[in-house]
Amino acid sequence: MDLLIKNDALVGVEPQRSHPISRGQLCAKGWSTYYGIDAANRITQPLIRDTQGFQPANWEEATVFICEKLREILETSGPSAVGVISSARATNEDNYAAQKLARAVLHTNNIDHCARICHSPTVAGLKQTLGSGAMTNSAADILDADLIMVFGADPTENHSILGGHVMRAKLQGTTLIVVDPRRTRLAKLADLHLQLKPGSNIALVNAMLDAIIGSGWHNRNFIKHRCDGFDRLAESVSNALQEAESHTGLAQGLIRDAAKLYSQSKRAMILYGMGVTQYVSGTNNVIALSNLALVCGQIGRPGTGINPLRGQNNVQGACDMGCLPNVFPGYQPVADSDCRARFSKAWGVKLPERPGLTSLGMSKAALSGDFLGMILFGEDPVVTDPDQNHVREALQKLDLLVVAELSMTETAKLADVVLPAAAFAEKDGTFTNCERRVQHFRQALLPPGEALPDWQWLRAIARGLGSDQLDWYDSEDIFNEMAALTPSYSAMDYYKITTQRGLQWPCDGKNPEGTTVLHQQGFATDNGRAKLIAVQQAAVDEPPDGEYPLTLTTNRLHFHYGCGSMTRKSPLLERETPAGILFINPQDAADLTIDHLAAVGVKSRRGYLETRAMVSEDVPPGLVSMPYHFREAPSNQLTNNAMDPLTKMPELKACAVRVAPLPPGRQPRQIDTILMDSRDAPLLS
Amino acid sequence: MRLYCLEHPIVLQRHLAASRRIYVLVEDLSGDNHWLTIEGDDEAILPQRPPISSPKKLLFSEQENLFVFDGEQFRETLPSPAPFALFGVHSCDLTAIAYQDKFFADDPYYQARRSQALLVGIDCTTPCENGFCYAVGAGPGVNTANADLILHRRKDGNWLLIASSEKGEQALQGADLKAATDAELRDREDQLARCEQLFGDSQYLKDGIAAINGGLIADSFWEEIGIQCLSCSGCTSLCPTCSCYATRDLDEPQGGIRQQRFWDSCLYEGFQREASQHNPSGAAGERVKRFWRHKFGEKFAEQYGRYGCVGCGRCEETCPGMIGVHTVMKRIQHHVQSDTGGH
Repeated sequence: MDLLIKNDALVGVEPQRSHPISRGQLCAKGWSTYYGIDAANRITQPLIRDTQGFQPANWEEATVFICEKLREILETSGPSAVGVISSARATNEDNYAAQKLARAVLHTNNIDHCARICHSPTVAGLKQTLGSGAMTNSAADILDADLIMVFGADPTENHSILGGHVMRAKLQGTTLIVVDPRRTRLAKLADLHLQLKPGSNIALVNAMLDAIIGSGWHNRNFIKHRCDGFDRLAESVSNALQEAESHTGLAQGLIRDAAKLYSQSKRAMILYGMGVTQYVSGTNNVIALSNLALVCGQIGRPGTGINPLRGQNNVQGACDMGCLPNVFPGYQPVADSDCRARFSKAWGVKLPERPGLTSLGMSKAALSGDFLGMILFGEDPVVTDPDQNHVREALQKLDLLVVAELSMTETAKLADVVLPAAAFAEKDGTFTNCERRVQHFRQALLPPGEALPDWQWLRAIARGLGSDQLDWYDSEDIFNEMAALTPSYSAMDYYKITTQRGLQWPCDGKNPEGTTVLHQQGFATDNGRAKLIAVQQAAVDEPPDGEYPLTLTTNRLHFHYGCGSMTRKSPLLERETPAGILFINPQDAADLTIDHLAAVGVKSRRGYLETRAMVSEDVPPGLVSMPYHFREAPSNQLTNNAMDPLTKMPELKACAVRVAPLPPGRQPRQIDTILMDSRDAPLLS
Repeated sequence: MRLYCLEHPIVLQRHLAASRRIYVLVEDLSGDNHWLTIEGDDEAILPQRPPISSPKKLLFSEQENLFVFDGEQFRETLPSPAPFALFGVHSCDLTAIAYQDKFFADDPYYQARRSQALLVGIDCTTPCENGFCYAVGAGPGVNTANADLILHRRKDGNWLLIASSEKGEQALQGADLKAATDAELRDREDQLARCEQLFGDSQYLKDGIAAINGGLIADSFWEEIGIQCLSCSGCTSLCPTCSCYATRDLDEPQGGIRQQRFWDSCLYEGFQREASQHNPSGAAGERVKRFWRHKFGEKFAEQYGRYGCVGCGRCEETCPGMIGVHTVMKRIQHHVQSDTGGH
């Protein structure tokens, strides 16, 4: 988008006709940019907590305070007791700086970010099967596909511009299959809506594979020349179609129809989201989808592929930059001594060998007293991470919590030091979008007050600890250092990115103009062949029962971004819904005597909250759904923290709850009030 | 109305710049055009195609303060801009300004800006992508009632300048300009007539307008269209005649409040929701239906002297849900035809 500036202030935005993806369009969040970064709502100077609360400070005081604490922790407990949580909203340069601070200055691999709870199973799953955990194709391919299968994703809400492309494709004649327990906007427009039970993805995909292989619809040539492991996979799915109905609730005929359409299309594209990854079986769900695409040869060509829809503006970039505890930039394993040697040489410092803690690992270690100092920016885990009470308690237990933010969030309220961060419009840098396109943007505004781009305050902390590791001159300087160490970015520079409206990685000696479609010749695995890996259906960790008879899933709204720290500043977007909602089917609502917009209480084994009911056919009977944007009624009071064993992805898409109307005249109480007030106890228990 | 010959618009631009700020379309590094002020001798590029965003926000501000209340007294916050010229406005956008002049006739904030504005129009001599101004009587030539000065690019590379208002003639005082003749005016009419012939078939627009006014469209049709409305506010933000706003009170740093008004959109669910939660347009289909009635309804046309749509086609381009004007009107045509067994 273009930002309109008058008298050094943002006055509005305009979409860009020339942009290769958005082509003159913006989503509601984009149109509301003014409110999201309005200086009036911002933190403008560092704040240090004392016994009276937050006190304004200058940067030097804040840095000295932080560094003294860090030194103390490092001396007494060692590097494993500190860590950094970076931000998928921040630039590649900020993220690169964050992981370098952790690894080269603090000497720990304790670095993570919110990809943990969105697409960590994608990275883990597709890395095994294809060798690369990103969208295989490009946004433009949506309009080239003959069939699009949207799997556990609600792109018109979460990726509105791409979701719009899917609508456009559908209206122009592309076949659309939607797999989702909820009746999403795209489901309403789809040729087929497979409204499966939550947590039955693998049963469905294996059944499709069974139908495909059984009918000979698979692509033998592709499998022979490009895949390993077909026979074992074929054997493992041989009864799956028969067994599918009991798991998924879908008729065999419908599954067979979908399987035929997908496998027999010339170009079929899978788009998927959190409805695949946020399960205890998240990584296996991703592997199952990968099996499906590979067996049908629907990959490596335009208009095909397996395409994770990354949620935030730069979650792809934050992963690429190595803000993960087990990999350096470019997914180079920390445990690999050659990779370690490479970074060690470039940075001139000895690097820690052991992979670090994930964000949830850091919380857990904090609770057990093994983790004491955290630097966090551009993220609000108190609202967005699973199990709010756990997170809150863990953060409160830290000796040092540093939070850099645009405005005061629930997490920042718990900090020892709050730092004022510059917003995207107030700095230079690059973002990597979900089609792997690295795009450059320029500073349009001065940051309000004393706010700084993240890499600059990270540099101040490094200097305070006596290190010159982060002594860059500007963001381009950071990018060049990063590109030299990151093979998939190695042929990129600011000039080339700007003049070409972004470049898609891998952009290296072999692909100097970038890559629109991955895996066209070979896969990025050891032997260049894709791996088919048999995976089995696994039930959700906490199915509904007599005590908690409904399944709760989570969703997002078009109007809000994450914790709402930016979008909820817009009076227009804030007006759209009550501050906290629960979607419930009219039948369930009638059974429970709940009217539309009535105040309700929702209880799970982990917590209780109050919110308003949105009575809607968009959820089937037995399923209720909550968006997670609202601090007043945070769904993470309720969600389950059972995890995918490999990636520690919590099962945010299914847990058991019960719902009851509040007494007439009672307004929903905010979570803080409920927690302070034990009167809720008799209400639902 | 007076006619002048002009070798190049820069002559006019320099003359006007001596007494007012000049807003022109400036091309950015990506090739997009924006209405911005320019300094000194920077030459206006005068692109043929209207930009993605009309000059609406220069007259009707996206956010502005209505007043400040310091706890005791109200303080007025009327804008007081220096005289300025919008240099090179296309006929669709000038038609929209004329429309908004009526809507905001009694709005002091709008009028404070509008009264300082000199409108320099430019004739379009080729249809633009998505544009259908001719079908709705908003172009391609600039209506003399809608601008103070009009630039017309002649085929021989020279320019015709028309002073179409008194304000326009006054603005030309002191400029060294040679008069043009009626023959040159006839050339303009010929060239515009040729341009009008280049517009594509607009029967679906006429059918669509008739169907909207004739009550021929089933509610189920609007419900279907409503599925594709994301309530993003893109169409209403870019529509040069849309004028809805809301207000809010904001705390002043030194105490007291200021009341701010800001662009609103009738496609938001919250736009018409009442305090009781009752909403006469709670369903997306209802809101989309209302939007098009406002753009093409005869009732509004009577009130404002023309349709609310000026044929710029921006909604078609900016709608992520693919329910801009062309798509919707074609679907209406199809709906009406299939409903009555085809014509």
